[in-house]
Amino acid sequence: MGGSQPAVEMRGITKVYPDGVVALRDVDFTVRKGEVHGLLGENGAGKTTLMRILYGEIEPSRGEIWIFGRRVKFRGPWDAIRQGVYMVYQQFSLVPAFTVLENLILASSSMGRAKLQDVRRKAEKIEREIGLEVPLNARVEELSVGVQQKAEILKALMSEAKILVLDEPTSVLTPIEVRELMKLLSRLREMGITIIFITHKLREAKEITDRITVLRRGRVVKVVETRDVSQEELAKMMVGREITFDITKKAAKAGAPLLAVKDLWVRDDRGLMAVKGVSFELRAREILSIVGVAGNGQRELVEAIVGIRPVEKGEVVFSGESITQMPPSEVYRRGLVYIPDSRAVGLILDFNVTDNSILTRLKQFLSGGRILWSEARRYSSRIVKEFNVLVDSLRTPVRHLSGGNQQRLLVGREVASNPKVIIAAEPTHGLDVAATEYIRSLLLKLRDEGKAVLLVSTDLDEVFQLSDRMAVIYEGQIMATGRPEDFTAEELGLLMGGVKCEAKS
Amino acid sequence: MRSEKLASWRLIEYTTIAVEITGSIALGLVVAGSILALLGYDPARGIFLLVFGGLRNPDYLLSRAAFIAMTALAFSIPLLAGVFNIGGEGQMYLGGLAALLAAVYSGNAAVAILAGGLAGAALGLIIGALKAYRDVNEVVSAIMLNLTLFYVIVYAITAELYDPVAPHESIKVPKGARLGVIRFGGLKLHIIFPLMLALVAVAYYLLYHTKLGYEIRASGFSPKAARYAGIDPKKTSVYSMVIGGFFAGVGGALNVVGFTYYIDNLLTCMYGMGFTGIGVALMGRNNPIGVALASIFFSMLVLGGSRMQMLMRVPKEVADTLSGVIIVALSLPYAYRMLISYIRIRRMVGVGAEQHS
Ligand SMILES: Nc1ncnc2c1ncn2[C@@H]1O[C@H](COP(=O)(O)OP(=O)(O)OP(=O)(O)O)[C@@H](O)[C@H]1O
Ligand SMILES: [Mg+2]
Repeated sequence: MGGSQPAVEMRGITKVYPDGVVALRDVDFTVRKGEVHGLLGENGAGKTTLMRILYGEIEPSRGEIWIFGRRVKFRGPWDAIRQGVYMVYQQFSLVPAFTVLENLILASSSMGRAKLQDVRRKAEKIEREIGLEVPLNARVEELSVGVQQKAEILKALMSEAKILVLDEPTSVLTPIEVRELMKLLSRLREMGITIIFITHKLREAKEITDRITVLRRGRVVKVVETRDVSQEELAKMMVGREITFDITKKAAKAGAPLLAVKDLWVRDDRGLMAVKGVSFELRAREILSIVGVAGNGQRELVEAIVGIRPVEKGEVVFSGESITQMPPSEVYRRGLVYIPDSRAVGLILDFNVTDNSILTRLKQFLSGGRILWSEARRYSSRIVKEFNVLVDSLRTPVRHLSGGNQQRLLVGREVASNPKVIIAAEPTHGLDVAATEYIRSLLLKLRDEGKAVLLVSTDLDEVFQLSDRMAVIYEGQIMATGRPEDFTAEELGLLMGGVKCEAKS
Repeated sequence: MRSEKLASWRLIEYTTIAVEITGSIALGLVVAGSILALLGYDPARGIFLLVFGGLRNPDYLLSRAAFIAMTALAFSIPLLAGVFNIGGEGQMYLGGLAALLAAVYSGNAAVAILAGGLAGAALGLIIGALKAYRDVNEVVSAIMLNLTLFYVIVYAITAELYDPVAPHESIKVPKGARLGVIRFGGLKLHIIFPLMLALVAVAYYLLYHTKLGYEIRASGFSPKAARYAGIDPKKTSVYSMVIGGFFAGVGGALNVVGFTYYIDNLLTCMYGMGFTGIGVALMGRNNPIGVALASIFFSMLVLGGSRMQMLMRVPKEVADTLSGVIIVALSLPYAYRMLISYIRIRRMVGVGAEQHS
C-alpha cells in the first residue's frame, strides 16, 4: 500500500432498494491509487448498485465513502464528477444528435465562443497525450459503439476524472475494439488514473486488472491479487461452487432447410440500403453465425426476416412457406423467434415480469380479446424458474432487475416457446459465466434436437464455440461463408474489415 | 440465488399510501388555512366550507364528477399510448350536440349516448390519424378543433336549434330520452353517476385485461419494443385517440341527456370541463380508478369553493387558489414517498443487519 491513501474506500455499505430488496450488505471495498481494480460477481450480485452508490447516483442505506482519504457524501453524479469520479455506463450519456465536441462543451458547462476553442484545444491535447482517436466534429449517432465509448472516456478525462468506473465496457465491443480499449486503459493507468472495471469475461479481468473484488449476493467474498488466481478459481469464488466448462459440440448432420433467405435487400432507418442482396440457407440441426462489426446490416437483416422491417426486395422462406413481410407476431407464432441484441427492445422495462413474459406471444394468452392473466403468470413463473431469473415477485417492473437477469428473462421467454428456429443476437450479452455457459449449451441442445439457430454475435469466442457454419457480413453483403475451421482469427478480422481474401468457399 | 427480502414490506407499503394521502391533504389544508388567515378571513370556516360545502348538494357534486371523469379518461387513455389529447373539450362539445340531435330524432337515451360517443370518437380519429400518418402535432390540431367546434356549436344553437320559448337555450331532450334520477327516501341521485362508475370499470377492464389495452400501454412505454412484438404503435395510438374521444363524447352526452337536457347558447354547462379533465387525469395518476376518485374530490373543491365565495364573500380568485393549493399538495406524495421510504429503510437496515449477519 506504500502508506498512500487509497483512491476509494467504501466501508460498511448496505443498500436496500425501496421495494425491500437488499442489494448490498455491509460491503467494504477498497481501490488503491493508480490500480485497475476488477469487480466481479454473478448477475444480481450488486456490482452496478455498488458503483452507482460510488457515483452518487443512489444513496447507500448505510455506510461511508472516502475518496483519496476524504469523507464524501455525493448529492448526485455532478457532485461525484466534480470530485474526480466518473462512471461510464453501457448506455452512454452522449447526446446522439450532437457532435463529440458539442457534447464535450455541454459537459464542461462553460458558455461563450472563447470557451469553444478552449474545449477543442484541451480535447486535442488529451487525445494526443494518450493516443486516443475520436473525431471531434462527427455526430455521435454516426459513430460506432466502440468510438462512442472512446468519446465517453474522453469526456471523463476532460472533466479531470481521477477515478474511472466502467460497467461492463467490453460486452458491446468487437474483439479488435476490446484490444484497443485494453491498451487505452493501460495508458490511463500509467498516467495515474484509477480504474474500476466490471466484467463477466474472466479472461479480460485476468489480463487488465491488478486486483479483484468478488461479490456474491451482496457481500464481498474475496479480494485477491490478480496474479495469484486462475480463471477457474475466480469462477468458483463468484458462484460458490466448482463450475465446469464443458461445452462440447457433437458433430451433427444438418437436416432439411428450415429458413432460406433469397437475395434480400433492406433499408435502414435513414433510408439507405443496409442489406444488399443477402442469401443463405439455414438447416435443421445447424447453427449458422452472422459475423461482422456491429452496424454492417446485421440488425436490418434479422429485422427484415421476422417482419419488423420492410423488405425492399427478395424473399424469406420458413419451413417451405414464404413469410416475406408477414407480421412479426405471426412469424413468431409459426416458430421463428428473435432475441434482439438490445434489452430495451426485447423488453418493456416499465412492464412487470409477467407482462413481459407474454410480449411476443400475446395471442396465445387471449380468449376473445381478454388476456388470461392466470395463465400468463403460470408461464412467467415457469420462465423465471427454468432460467434462474433473480427476482422477488412477478410484479416487479423489469427495470428493477439487474442487467443479466433481464437478459435471462428475454432469452428464456423466446426459448420457452419451443420454437423451430431461433434468431439470437448477442444472446449472452451481460450474462455471468454460469448463465453464459447455460445459454450456450442450451443453444447446442436445441440444435441437437433438430432445431436451427441463426446466431448474430460480435463475440468471436462464442461464434467459434457454437457455429457449424459462419457467414461474414460487411456493409450489407456476405463476404464469405465457411466452417469455423476454415478461418483463422486473423482472416476473420480482415474479412470483417471488408478485405476479401482469395479462394474461400 | 435469491437476495433475502425483509418481511412484510407490502403491509408497510399500504400504510405508506394511507399516510401519504392523509399527509398531503393535511398539508394542503394548513397552507390554504394560512392563506385565508392572512387575507383576514376565518380560516376554520373557510376550510370547512371549501371541503364540505359541496356536500350540501351531493347529487350535483357527483353529477359533475361524472362528466369530469369522462373527459379525464379522454386524456389519460391516449396518454398511456403516448399521445396528448388536449381535444377532450371539443370532443365533449360535439358529443353533447350529437347526443341532443340523436335524442330528438330517436327519443332514446342509449342511442343518444352512443351517438355522442361516436361523434367524439370521430374527432379523436381525425386528430390521431393526422398525428400518426401526417405528422401533424396533436396538440395544435386539437386546440384548433376545440376553438372551431366551440363557435360552430354556439352558432348551431343560436341560429338553428334554439328553443322558441327560451331562445338562449337549445331545443330540449324529449322526456322519453332523458336519464332521470334515482331516489332513496329524501335523497336523489342522477343516474349518470352510477353510469360513470360503470364506464370507469369498462375503461379499467379495457386497459388492463384486453389485448388492445396491453398494446396501448406497450406502445406508450416503448414504441421500439412494441414494434418488435408485432404491435403497430401508430395504429395503436390512433385507437387510443378514438377511445379517448369516445369517452369525451360520452361525457358531453351524459351532460345533455342526463343532467341539463339542453345546451345553452354559450355552452356554460360544458365549458372548461375538457380541460379540467386533464388535471383530474394527472391527479388520478392516469389510472381509471384514480380518475374516478379524483373527479369526485375535484368537484368537491369546486363546489365548496363557490359556496365559500357565496357565504364569506371570498373573491373567486382566492377560492380557486385554495383549491389549487390542495391539488398541488395531493401531487406531492412522490416527495413524501421518498421521505417515508428513507425512514423505512433506515429502520429495516437496523433490524435486518442484525438478523441476517
Ligand atoms: N432500482 C432497483 N429497484 C429494486 N431492486 C433493484 C434495483 N436495481 C437493482 N435491483 C436489485 O438489486 C440487486 C443487485 O443488482 P445489480 O444491478 O447491482 O446487480 P449486478 O451485479 O450489476 O448484476 P448484473 O451482472 O446482472 O448486471 C438485484 O437483485 C436487482 O434485482
Ligand atoms: Mg450490472
